[in-house]
Amino acid sequence: MKRFSPGAAAALALSAVITVGSVSLLGPCVHEDGSFGSCHWAGQALLGIGLLLAVLSLAALLVKDGRLRAGMLFAAAAAAILGIFVPGTLIHLCGMATMRCRAVMRPAMTLLCALTALSCLTGGIAAYRKAGSEK
Amino acid sequence: MKRRSLAVKNLLRKPGRTSALVILTALLALSVFGGSVVVGSLRQGFRSLESRLGADIIVVPSSAQSKVSFQNMLLQGTNGAFYMDGKNLDRVREVAGVELAAPQVFLASLKADCCSVKIQVIGFDPETDFFVRPWIEQSYTRQLGDLDVVVGSKVESGVGEIIRIYDERCKVVGRLAATGTGLDTAVYCNLSTMKMLLTAAEEKGVSHKVSSDESDDRISAIYVKVKDGYDIGAVNSEIQGHTRKCSAVRTKSMLTDVSDSLSAISGTVATLIGAIWLLSLVILVVAFVMIANERKREFAVLRLLGTSRAMLGGMILKESALCSLAGGALGVLTASMLVFPFTTLIETRLGLPYLRPSAGTITALALAALAATVMVGSLASSWASFRLSRVDPGTVLREGN
Amino acid sequence: MILSAEQISKRYFRKSGEANHFYAVKPLNLMLRPGTVTVLCGRSGSGKTTLLHILSGLLTPTEGRVLLGETDLYSLSDKELSKLRNASIGVVPQARSVLDTLTVKENILLPSLLYGTEDRSEEAAHWMDTLHIDGLADSRASELSGGELRRTAIARTLCMHPPVILADEPTGDLDDENTQLVFGCFRKAAEEGAAVLIVSHEIDALNNADVAFRMDGGQLSTLS
Repeated sequence: MKRFSPGAAAALALSAVITVGSVSLLGPCVHEDGSFGSCHWAGQALLGIGLLLAVLSLAALLVKDGRLRAGMLFAAAAAAILGIFVPGTLIHLCGMATMRCRAVMRPAMTLLCALTALSCLTGGIAAYRKAGSEK
Repeated sequence: MKRRSLAVKNLLRKPGRTSALVILTALLALSVFGGSVVVGSLRQGFRSLESRLGADIIVVPSSAQSKVSFQNMLLQGTNGAFYMDGKNLDRVREVAGVELAAPQVFLASLKADCCSVKIQVIGFDPETDFFVRPWIEQSYTRQLGDLDVVVGSKVESGVGEIIRIYDERCKVVGRLAATGTGLDTAVYCNLSTMKMLLTAAEEKGVSHKVSSDESDDRISAIYVKVKDGYDIGAVNSEIQGHTRKCSAVRTKSMLTDVSDSLSAISGTVATLIGAIWLLSLVILVVAFVMIANERKREFAVLRLLGTSRAMLGGMILKESALCSLAGGALGVLTASMLVFPFTTLIETRLGLPYLRPSAGTITALALAALAATVMVGSLASSWASFRLSRVDPGTVLREGN
Repeated sequence: MILSAEQISKRYFRKSGEANHFYAVKPLNLMLRPGTVTVLCGRSGSGKTTLLHILSGLLTPTEGRVLLGETDLYSLSDKELSKLRNASIGVVPQARSVLDTLTVKENILLPSLLYGTEDRSEEAAHWMDTLHIDGLADSRASELSGGELRRTAIARTLCMHPPVILADEPTGDLDDENTQLVFGCFRKAAEEGAAVLIVSHEIDALNNADVAFRMDGGQLSTLS
């Protein structure tokens, strides 16, 4: 099992966007008075999830064992699904739909996490099947 | 393997070539579907604004700023707080031809704790109002009590929740349907609640007095409905003459401004889509011609084995149709992922009323985009396929000897 | 079924000495009979391949006609001619003619699938076995050597049992052993009633011929 995994590579790229995005363009805004609301913590949680996803998908890209790779990708998929529920469901966001956390962060992160989960799942299934056929 | 599946096999076993074509056609579908949803939403938003603005004339304080501020409030949901003497309401009512005149009072909250932003509070008089009430009655049929508020669709507070405005605890009793306008970000209350809020604001050091007038009675806007048979322009001039430090704006002229911006944006989007299509079409034709040249030998072999020109043309057409169908679906999907979740962002950036069309309209747009993409893909390949089917297989097979 | 060429010629417009045209094939008559292996030899550029393409219905002659039984090939519509070629004329071209997107087995079965005729999987297996490419059934053309590609093209032709077989340098890429094998296959096809024409410059081909012709400057002459 040395084959390159496109699923893991896509997940790595997406998790990099999640990680960097959560503290920059795609993150919550800082209020004019310097204070921050719960949306700030949603952004921090997404930063953590993004980092976890990056580590898992990078490891999945590097390991040679098919079952190990599949396991890592499935774990990453679960983390990405968790990421979908962080902004708005698990952690409250601001009360106005026009605020950046609702207008930008939530839709962007939902989309990115969903795509990451999809990449991880397809990559994981492919790795699992490949490992099974090599036995 | 059947002959039918030969086209599918050709596509699947040349993944590089197929993906390039799929991506190219996806770009076509993405631009036309994404663009038409945005333009459709703008049109829908405009219709919504038109039906929401049930007044013929709107009277606002005469300062240039307040007029702009009012329009921005309506279109973009920015905060507006401007006032005029409440006596102007009686003066307007005295003008011949005025059927209804309803006052509204605006207040921009300090950072309300619900939203971490200033929100616009709009007070209206349930007795005379014809502007907000029909809309509110869709979601809340009872009289609004003191400190009861109804929130616009973009204020993320549920019914029963408490919003604190200048430390007054206001209870959310209803949520309004989306209009796609700036009215969606406001909070609505009756005039006595508004009075309490204004007093609370003053206690916090925020003054809302009309500078030249010490009267306590202040209003921000008057919505006027003109009696049938009266000329709106004439009534407008009459109101202008009767009131003090006010300017009467015809709703129609305000809508014309919006409709002009709308046409400008629609035009830009249409030009952009046109340019993308033209470019993609040229690239597609070139791509198909190049692919056809590369596959000349393959087609010559098929002719040698007994494939007729018509069968060969059909096969090429089928391949390109399948490619563009896949590309079209991918494009529509990508556009959906970009346009729908970011509706609010697009609306804020455009600064115009923006309301998503019905699911039926969106489905129709998606199908149309898909059909157009498949048509263009097939059209682009048909020239290449025609040229190929005329090629003499004997000559082609000799070329590589 | 007899394939006969009557006074066919092929003229191209090209500056050639005094004239502004030249004959790739000068007017000639040729008859391919069932049960006979005919060998056509000659130097390159002598018009052999042009003649073979005219006989197979791929290249319209300037003059004359080609008859398969009673049917004049070039009086048929493209649709009719294509169908006739599929069923009755098996061509092994000199150039590489195996499709890259298909496996060896799919390539061999391709002609039989074009008009949805009967399942020829068994014949395909038989010819793959005979031509020693049975182990490659599921390989793609891009993975094959020149000799394997050539044998695949031959198996594809033989699998259809056409009454006429036209093969252009069929043993060009083959070693001695496989050359003998292929000539053996053509001989067997002739014994089963096919009219076989082999264009070749190999001595072995002449040894396998019932009738032999030489082509020189577009002119056909009988070899004794």
